[in-house]
Amino acid sequence: MAVIVATNVSKRFGKVEAIRDVSLSVDEGEFFGLFGPNGAGKTTLLRVLTGQLDPDSGEVVIAGVSHRDPIGIKRVVGIVPEAETPPSFLTAQETLELTCRIRGVRDIGERVERWMDFFNMEDSRDVLCGELSKGQRQKVMLACAFIHEPHLLLLDEPFINLDPIYQRKLREYLSALVGEGRTIFMCTHILEIAERLCTRIAVIDGGRIVEVGTIDQMKESDGENLEDIFMRLVGEVPGLTQ
Amino acid sequence: MLREEWRLHRSLIGWAGSGLFPLFILVLSAGLALAARLFLTNLSTSTILLMLHVASVMYGLFVGALGHVGERVMTRRLGQINMLLQIPQIQPISFKRTLTLFFLKDAVFYVVYSFIPITLGVALVSSVIGVSLRGVGLLGVTMLLTFFMGMGLSFLVSASAARSRRLAGALTLTVLAMVSAVWPLGMLKLGHLLFPLGYWSSGNPLLLVASLLVASAFSVAGTLAVKERFDSVQHSQRSILLPTEGRFAFTKDMSTLMAKEWLELRRSGTMAQVTMGYVGVLLGVYFIIWLFEEGVGIPLPFNVVSYAGFVGFMGVITYSWLTVVEPNECLNAMPMTVDRVVWAKILIYLLITAGISAGYVTLIAALRGELGLLIPAIVVSEVTSIYTVAVTAYLTALWTNTMFFDVRVLIKFSAAVVPLLTMIEVASLWILGASPQATAAIGAAIALELALSVQFIRGINGRWGKASFTFTATET
Repeated sequence: MAVIVATNVSKRFGKVEAIRDVSLSVDEGEFFGLFGPNGAGKTTLLRVLTGQLDPDSGEVVIAGVSHRDPIGIKRVVGIVPEAETPPSFLTAQETLELTCRIRGVRDIGERVERWMDFFNMEDSRDVLCGELSKGQRQKVMLACAFIHEPHLLLLDEPFINLDPIYQRKLREYLSALVGEGRTIFMCTHILEIAERLCTRIAVIDGGRIVEVGTIDQMKESDGENLEDIFMRLVGEVPGLTQ
Repeated sequence: MLREEWRLHRSLIGWAGSGLFPLFILVLSAGLALAARLFLTNLSTSTILLMLHVASVMYGLFVGALGHVGERVMTRRLGQINMLLQIPQIQPISFKRTLTLFFLKDAVFYVVYSFIPITLGVALVSSVIGVSLRGVGLLGVTMLLTFFMGMGLSFLVSASAARSRRLAGALTLTVLAMVSAVWPLGMLKLGHLLFPLGYWSSGNPLLLVASLLVASAFSVAGTLAVKERFDSVQHSQRSILLPTEGRFAFTKDMSTLMAKEWLELRRSGTMAQVTMGYVGVLLGVYFIIWLFEEGVGIPLPFNVVSYAGFVGFMGVITYSWLTVVEPNECLNAMPMTVDRVVWAKILIYLLITAGISAGYVTLIAALRGELGLLIPAIVVSEVTSIYTVAVTAYLTALWTNTMFFDVRVLIKFSAAVVPLLTMIEVASLWILGASPQATAAIGAAIALELALSVQFIRGINGRWGKASFTFTATET
């Protein structure tokens, strides 16, 4: 069953057409990766899918909820945005409590403790988010996305600013979620991680989907890895040596 | 930096809204100059000059406090927008230099957006108000120099405060001591402190040169005092969101948002600014009434109800402070809408201001021996306050400071608020005589304000319910 369905979605900012006629679908239980060069439209597409932006044309349905109900979409998904921006004057603990309240989570204390423990944030639980490091803020945003245990996660560069320990921990957690039948849609530039996690991928360039499929389907030879596929599909940079 | 400022304004409020603002100021200045000529006939030239120069220095003091602005403050204020001010983080340029350039850019900005349009507006009607073009030009220059003195002083004190609160305190006490020497001690004249004002009585052009030197000295000293690095210190706070939420249980399903807003207001230091700002507003109301009582050629029976109308109106300034605490962009990823945060801010505004304004009106009524008018005055101040904040919230949501630079928003706000406020103020002049018509007029204005407040507050959902917490010009 498809949990993400985008049909002929376009979005323009002034003269710039950020995404053009994008159509894709993601089935339940998939770990779907979206890749593209800088400015290709990844974040714009993700923001349209998560209800943060209205498409200029086309239809989006997320877990049965139309894009015309952005709050409905946000209720059923977990979102990690591109930039780590938790509230500056709330502590890490308070930010998670606020998230729980907004999302109607009942066992707030238990959930907050679980995620404080997961990300080892005991020492920074009472620190204002504005005073946390980028990595700590990223952990807060990740915890906010996971705390209500959504069946669908949309993640924009979730591994950014995390040290290798937490990159691995997060990788293992996301794999486990997919193993339980949940769905993940992820944008990332860290292709090594994506290659290990993604069951299906799409490549976007110039606002258009260039290719969709599994990594194996996209390979032209056995030795090709995701980076090679990426370079082949979106064009190599002139003058860049092998 | 000037280009950056223009592009920032244009991105936030659009080309038309941003570009037409100086024109709006020009027209407004011409109108106010004409109105002053017609109505404030009892004021002497020296009093008018005094008021204009005090207003200029206060304006400069208000806008010049940039010394405490570090890159984090810029990030907090503007969300994901990055400014050139943050460039010393990664480039070999000092923050002192960057902030000084930012200060100079701001000075140019205020000249272009405020002082030039004001001067041109008054010049446009100079022949009608009986002032020569030379006089208008000279007035523009002296007001500008006074503005620079205030801006430079504010920059110096704020930069010192970032280094040492004691130093800033000492500077502030020195300034207050010098002002006290003018009033109430009467040992000096204000022209001895504000040299451009002193020029108007002495005609000595060296005072203008001196004012420029003083403004420059303040600015240079402020630059030298600028802190190069803002230490990243982690302060431990008790996590008290849920207990604080309990205190707002009376707001039912708004209690979580109320707790969030309250904590952010307190911890950001904005609470003190909001409260003191509102006290400043109340002093401003006292001054406006005094202006009309002293300046108009015929005696007008101002009373506590007249004060009450203005008190309610000035609440827009307090609401605008509440909207600059936190960009709230993280709420884009949650099932939360802009209108609900706006309602939380309205409730916080009412909680802060209702008691203060009622207390102020009570004090005025007691001082003027008009306690018999206390109840209507309180009703007028509270309802007008609710109405003004409802209009402001409907028009500007969480971006009041930015959107009030959009002339289209300013016109809509004026159209919504000024007629009803005028009706209340004019009717209040007859209420001392227990005029039934005056009472009916005020009653009608209050009823209309209440009805329209309900409409505006209900309309906030339709207008802002689908807006992003990341503001763009397309929101207007």
